[in-house]
Amino acid sequence: MIAYVSIGLLGLLTLSIPVGIVLFILGIGIDQFFTPFPLLRGLGNLVWSSSNSATLIAIPFFVLLGEILVRSGIAERTYAALDKWISWLPGGLIHANIATATMFSATSGSSVATSATVATVAMPQAERLGYDPKLFSGAIAAGGTLGIMIPPSINLIVYGFLTQTSIPQLFLAGLVPGIALALAFILVTVLICMVRPDLGGETRSFPLGKMIRALLDLVPILLLFAVIIGTIYKGWATPTEAASVGVAGAFAIALAMGGVNLRMMRDSLTGTVKITSMIMLVVIGASFLNFTLSSAGLGAQLRGFLEGLGLGPLGTILVVVLIYIVLGFFIETLSLMVVTIPIIVPLVVAQGFDPIWFGILMIVLIEMALITPPVGLNLYVVQGARRSGSMTDVMLGAVPFVVVMLLMSALLIAFPQIALWLPSVL
Amino acid sequence: ENLNVVGSWSSLPLHQQYEAPFWSETLPEASGGDIEVALTTHDQMGLGVGDVYRLLGQGVYDVAMTVADYAVADAPELEGLDVPLVATDASTAREMVEAARPMVDDIYADRFNSKVLAIAPYPPQVVFCNAEIGSLEDLEGLKVRASGRMTAKFLEALGAEGINVAFSEVPGALQKGVVDCAVTGAGSGYSAGWWEVSTHLMPIPLGGWDSVVTAMNMDKWNSLDAEMQELIQTQIKTEFEDPAWESAQDALVNDIACLTGNGECPYGDARDMTLVEASETDIANAEEILISEVLPEWSERAGDDWAQRWNASVGEVVGVQIAQ
Amino acid sequence: MTAERFLAFLRRLNTGVAILVGIGLLGCAAFVLLDIVLRQVGTSFGGTDEISGYVMAVATSWGMAFTLLELGHVRIDLLRTRLPSRGRAAMDLFSMLILAVVVTLIAWQCWPVLANSLRNGSTANTPLETPLAWVQTPWLLGWVWFALVSWATLFAAAILVLRGEFDKSEAAIGAFAETETLQ
Ligand code: NA
Ligand code: NA
Repeated sequence: MIAYVSIGLLGLLTLSIPVGIVLFILGIGIDQFFTPFPLLRGLGNLVWSSSNSATLIAIPFFVLLGEILVRSGIAERTYAALDKWISWLPGGLIHANIATATMFSATSGSSVATSATVATVAMPQAERLGYDPKLFSGAIAAGGTLGIMIPPSINLIVYGFLTQTSIPQLFLAGLVPGIALALAFILVTVLICMVRPDLGGETRSFPLGKMIRALLDLVPILLLFAVIIGTIYKGWATPTEAASVGVAGAFAIALAMGGVNLRMMRDSLTGTVKITSMIMLVVIGASFLNFTLSSAGLGAQLRGFLEGLGLGPLGTILVVVLIYIVLGFFIETLSLMVVTIPIIVPLVVAQGFDPIWFGILMIVLIEMALITPPVGLNLYVVQGARRSGSMTDVMLGAVPFVVVMLLMSALLIAFPQIALWLPSVL
Repeated sequence: ENLNVVGSWSSLPLHQQYEAPFWSETLPEASGGDIEVALTTHDQMGLGVGDVYRLLGQGVYDVAMTVADYAVADAPELEGLDVPLVATDASTAREMVEAARPMVDDIYADRFNSKVLAIAPYPPQVVFCNAEIGSLEDLEGLKVRASGRMTAKFLEALGAEGINVAFSEVPGALQKGVVDCAVTGAGSGYSAGWWEVSTHLMPIPLGGWDSVVTAMNMDKWNSLDAEMQELIQTQIKTEFEDPAWESAQDALVNDIACLTGNGECPYGDARDMTLVEASETDIANAEEILISEVLPEWSERAGDDWAQRWNASVGEVVGVQIAQ
Repeated sequence: MTAERFLAFLRRLNTGVAILVGIGLLGCAAFVLLDIVLRQVGTSFGGTDEISGYVMAVATSWGMAFTLLELGHVRIDLLRTRLPSRGRAAMDLFSMLILAVVVTLIAWQCWPVLANSLRNGSTANTPLETPLAWVQTPWLLGWVWFALVSWATLFAAAILVLRGEFDKSEAAIGAFAETETLQ
């Protein structure tokens, strides 16, 4: 059955059948070939109960929030402001890419949306100022991945939903690793550009007056982050409800800055619907597949197999990390999460690991999957925003950041407190 | 005979201590190898809790068990199995469930095309508060997290405000004051660390006993020969239902000891929540509200026939009659 | 009507649907927000959770067809990009056919859920006692709509491919929209 699922998954994906549909087909196949029970009769109920969810409505809310920020021009101003503050470092504007991505991560729940936002505003600059495209675009792709680590995060909401762990705790746990990753990205860029100055553009400095004035443009995003996170931790609302506060906040800011018009609202709403249904087809497909897999006893089989190896806790974690790295090359990340969580998390928790800590470790690995070829959505997004050049540039440019993420996973395994400290003190 | 069995919450003691051993060892052995069981649980399958018996009736699996309260969306008359507060100890709760058994049999046959095999209790659903309370009346005006329709209606009748919060978010919600109180099994509250974020414990079954019904698809049941049916029925009664009930009262006493420090805690460190005993006036007031508001509403939802049957069976046992 | 104009019509129609769905989501956000504010002053609508769940289920199912026409459902195009336009068109048609079949099956299997709720007169296990049929009917219709739009799109795209108009078929059922914001 394991062979059937793996081969079927890869084969059908290669045929470029939509991912969500592939998951349904695999589930139907398991029903037909591996169990005598009429599992198909459960399909409708699973479609209903996996979409009738007050937790998951945070997804369209956070997407809408991001759409409003991009379409009202707030993103551009943020980028210009960060450029004034951080481009004196070796690597120049590349740091503005990472910093903008980090700030947008604090309001966006998605990595692809974050990198799309930054790519849209940054790419024209790269061409104008003559940057080496590799490191410049690699930094956007990598910086964008922080969208799912720094709260809010759609992927952490899905993780909390599937594993019954507390979403606010997960959000808190992601904050320190997220900021550490951002700093590490900046550090590695500085190091690379000190060794190979030709990879970064010229460093830029601005008069102090301009810098101070630019700070004003950072206020909206910081305010929005404070409102969303504040609402959750003040106890005014659940994470899902806080998403609606975020929508209202983004809308108010866009209004105040004069960025609201009918066309922009229309595009934001349809954009939200498109992304929500895209995510939900995968989530629903995965819950049906999971239902058939556990009915057919795959979870138990896999658990038996891994327990039979007698690896112990550390060995198990290393095997799990390896599984995610390998699968991460080929599988779209949200699908990767929803398909593996029901099988892997119980196993890891049974070995005595903290489910919140593991959620954060998984997010680092998922971030890595977003920028490793051949299937790395962020790479495609950044390449899409470039008008010329080959995909290989972006892939090569992302390599240093993949190394940083590998180191981060190792650090998380060695020092779980990086993730667990903040939730334990707040 | 191969049986595909779907158990209740995999993390709770009822599954780990009673369901899992019974279905994976006791019954197959007692059948001399005639019965083979594949066991999973509804949470591992990712099923919506309201779907468990729906799918059982459609033959998606052979045997299923979950909290009867989860299925009241499809069968409002089933709410009568687990009325809050009327049974304050395990032996009364068992008498109540046994009195209700013929009704439950009919409901499962009609609504879910299945045969009831056993009804076992989760520990009673008690009240954790992060607020100073001294009696049931103090819940008035407080925000309370409850699950299940009758409990929510009962809280409304008490003047409390029902708030919906997922189980995993309850500790945060209690700490931040999103809710003042929450209702769950004493043992679950102990192991999920609710004592860290709440101060007062009122060990009365405000959420009822959350009876877990084990049922088999009716077509499957009818396909078994009489001998096999007999074997399953006796085994499940003596090896699963009886032991589960026997431990229920002890479990409650132990759980309360663990949470409040009044007595020995066999599971780990005892905590120091304030124990709030419900007074007799409390209970009397609660029954008054049940009789005057909550149960008559239920009889409207379920139909008068069911209220009459309830009066004649469960009502007799617990000494409560719904006005007709 | 030519296949091309038919596709344009489908797209306009679904954009309208998506705007309605979007407004529904926006309304739900406003409703939740109002409830948060009300809670601060000590009262509440109650049941915002339950209603958000229904909105999510209905929004999801009715948004599916729009996402399809916007080429939003994620596909992996490793092999596909390496093929000439004729091969790409064949893969797109095949993938579209599979999608239409599977979505039809989903819509078909969703009917018993509603039928069951109708037969039992099921009401939500909450104080609101929402009759489930009220919310499951629009939900089911969304999936039926998705199935219908899938077959219509497949049909129109097949005509384009048969006529050898691969660019146009790629625009209708290709793998990615032109580098718009993904997820
Ligand atoms: Na984020
Ligand atoms: Na990848």
